[in-house]
Amino acid sequence: MNLKNISKYVASSSKVIMTIIVFLFAVHILQIITIELSSEIYRMLTKTKPDRAAAEPAKQLSEAEKKLRRIHRSGKNFLPDGTIHLIYSHGRTPGRFDEPRKVQIYDVNDVLIWQGPESENPYEYLSWSDQRFRPYRYYGDLTERRMNELQMITPEFSQVIEIPVLAQDETVQVWRYLPAGDLFMGCRLDGSIIGFLSSTGFTRSKSEARPFGRFKFQSSWHSTGALEPTVLWQTRRRLYEINFHKRQVQLVFESPQANIKTVMLRDSRPIEDPQKPKKLYQKYRPTIRIVTEDDKHHLIMRNPEQKLTITFPDEKWSNNIHFAATEEDVFLIHYDSEIRPHKAHFKSHKLYKQLLSKYEGKSYKQWVELYKVDNQANLHLLNRYEWNVPSDFLPRRRKSFRLHVQHAATAFSSPLYDLAWFVLGPEFFYQRSRGNDFVSGSIQMISELRPVNSLWNWSLGLAMVGFAFWHGRPRQTSRGKLIFWLAFTLVFNLAGLLTYLALNHTTIIKCPVCGRRRGLIQVNCVRCGAEVPKPERRKTDLILNT
Amino acid sequence: MRFSALLRKELRESLPWMLLAAIIFLAIGGFFLREAQLYGIYDWSEMYFSSRPLTETYGLQSRRSPLQLIGPVLLLTSIGLGLVLGVRHFWIPYFTRTWPFLIHRSVDRKTIFWAKLAAAIITFLISVGAVWAAFYSYSCRPERFTMLPIKRVFIEGWLFVLLGLIVYLGTALTGLCNARWYTTKIFGLAFATVIICATIFEWRIGWAFAAIIIGAVILLSQIIDTISNREF
Repeated sequence: MNLKNISKYVASSSKVIMTIIVFLFAVHILQIITIELSSEIYRMLTKTKPDRAAAEPAKQLSEAEKKLRRIHRSGKNFLPDGTIHLIYSHGRTPGRFDEPRKVQIYDVNDVLIWQGPESENPYEYLSWSDQRFRPYRYYGDLTERRMNELQMITPEFSQVIEIPVLAQDETVQVWRYLPAGDLFMGCRLDGSIIGFLSSTGFTRSKSEARPFGRFKFQSSWHSTGALEPTVLWQTRRRLYEINFHKRQVQLVFESPQANIKTVMLRDSRPIEDPQKPKKLYQKYRPTIRIVTEDDKHHLIMRNPEQKLTITFPDEKWSNNIHFAATEEDVFLIHYDSEIRPHKAHFKSHKLYKQLLSKYEGKSYKQWVELYKVDNQANLHLLNRYEWNVPSDFLPRRRKSFRLHVQHAATAFSSPLYDLAWFVLGPEFFYQRSRGNDFVSGSIQMISELRPVNSLWNWSLGLAMVGFAFWHGRPRQTSRGKLIFWLAFTLVFNLAGLLTYLALNHTTIIKCPVCGRRRGLIQVNCVRCGAEVPKPERRKTDLILNT
Repeated sequence: MRFSALLRKELRESLPWMLLAAIIFLAIGGFFLREAQLYGIYDWSEMYFSSRPLTETYGLQSRRSPLQLIGPVLLLTSIGLGLVLGVRHFWIPYFTRTWPFLIHRSVDRKTIFWAKLAAAIITFLISVGAVWAAFYSYSCRPERFTMLPIKRVFIEGWLFVLLGLIVYLGTALTGLCNARWYTTKIFGLAFATVIICATIFEWRIGWAFAAIIIGAVILLSQIIDTISNREF
């Protein structure tokens, strides 16, 4: 094979790649426009019709149903000795913001034990405030997604994270995060370099510094009396505490076996919440909770220093787990329900749908458990409360118009997306579709527009293959090429068919021998083998031939 | 010798656009840089610490470089120059009917294309690349801006220059294609648009370079094949 042939093959394959990429994007854009536009038109049309639901009289609930609703809507709170109280909040009169919020407190036998304004509640329940510091939710914390956004190239260039520090001589020093080296570089305002903060601590030269590792999450706060923030810096397997003023880096946690999934904090920073009495904060120990991918929860507590590791196998435990470390004990609360999907449900769409349809429109059980954690990380069940959730809290799903359109539009998507979903798994798509860069956007598009192995998709694919065969057979130059294009059309669906048509459309004529259609590119007719007919000789041919 | 003659000819034709792009970029970019320097919005000062309460949760500060406003100008100039040069090198010869004169020189068609590409690269280097390097070195002096732009910003600027070259290749392919407008003729430019999106919405420099290189290889292979085989 000579160089000319190689360049010809490279050129034709790159042409196919370019065309399919352009058509895949074009088809995706059309699919999204179809879905959005049709659902918007449907919304506009249905908006003009009288709201039937509003016209229907409200359903009268029996006393038993009202009780079920009240129990479900009540907060299930625990006293440190394990006693459960159900707190039902009445809320305020509409428009009366000065009115105190009123609550009713019931015991587990549904006996009213106290009622009055919420602020005068005589009981002091365990507080599970580590919910407040979940990453991806709390304002001010920097997640991996936000970090990627800052580093995105964009027409205005990427951004840099900078931490200003007021030095003892009242001059400003700035610590700057360098994503390429995964470390912080300290500069004075005259441009001179102070040094580097990395996993090895403070170093004067960059060569001595070692990267922290791939960034995942950070949370920062001002310690009392300090002008500079303390930064909790999480990488894939480590957690560092960085003090820029003192130029110190402390390794708080390292997970050698599994990646860190989540970091949650409790009272690691001072909180000023006027709604709650100050003694509440003093009662609980500062805690960092780290959840790793091997389903282990690592508790790092202070005052006094203590570390605990607890394993929660998925089958028995939900993700809805919270800790509270008081001066005396460590408590754990666990919420769970019958309808909690397990790992197998996330892998199979069919199983997940089966689980939902099993409980749709039906009452199901939910429960809460309180455990005490001893110093060896063993759990001791203190109390458990189970209740029935009313049937209308999980109503029967009705397939919306948008879903119908989406189902129809995704029938034109490539079945390759389903294959990718099956091979790589939903977790891959979930993890990688969080960002808003081009690759994440494309991955997100695949997960949203995949055909979900529908019969329509395969039928359309086969119909397109049939059309491609009808079109390609008379134009066929080689059997292998035709088979390639038929397979290509099947694999890429509409985008594949458009690519085939764009790159293979040639003029056809009626064969003078067999009378059937034949392309002009090949010399012999694909059916009868006759050559392309020569035009009749004319007078000018004599001049042209000489 | 023949190549350098062709190169000189292409450079001569590109010269007005080279000068125009350099002047536009220098004037608008210089104005923005001067404004950034005058208003000092990219500086840290002791004022930052005076109004801060002693205890509070802290959100880390993210900062753009003083070259922030030059970025869009650089990108637009680069894309514009790519379009103009592509049209000048591959479309105008159709309208002026000078393709046959060029093709029937005693050089092969690929040499003609390489000369055009070399002229385009030189034009980009001088009119956009050199001015960008000058802006960057200007903003790297501590007496002008207290916080200097990082090297990554300089590389990102060069990515924008390369995107201009991708647009040039896309325009060239579109110009050389025999197909109709509503079929595959526009695909060269459409593909260049995909590459631009893949680059500017990416946070990994390596991936952005990879997207540009893959795009350039795909476009170049088709251009070479088309210019070698098509009839003019």
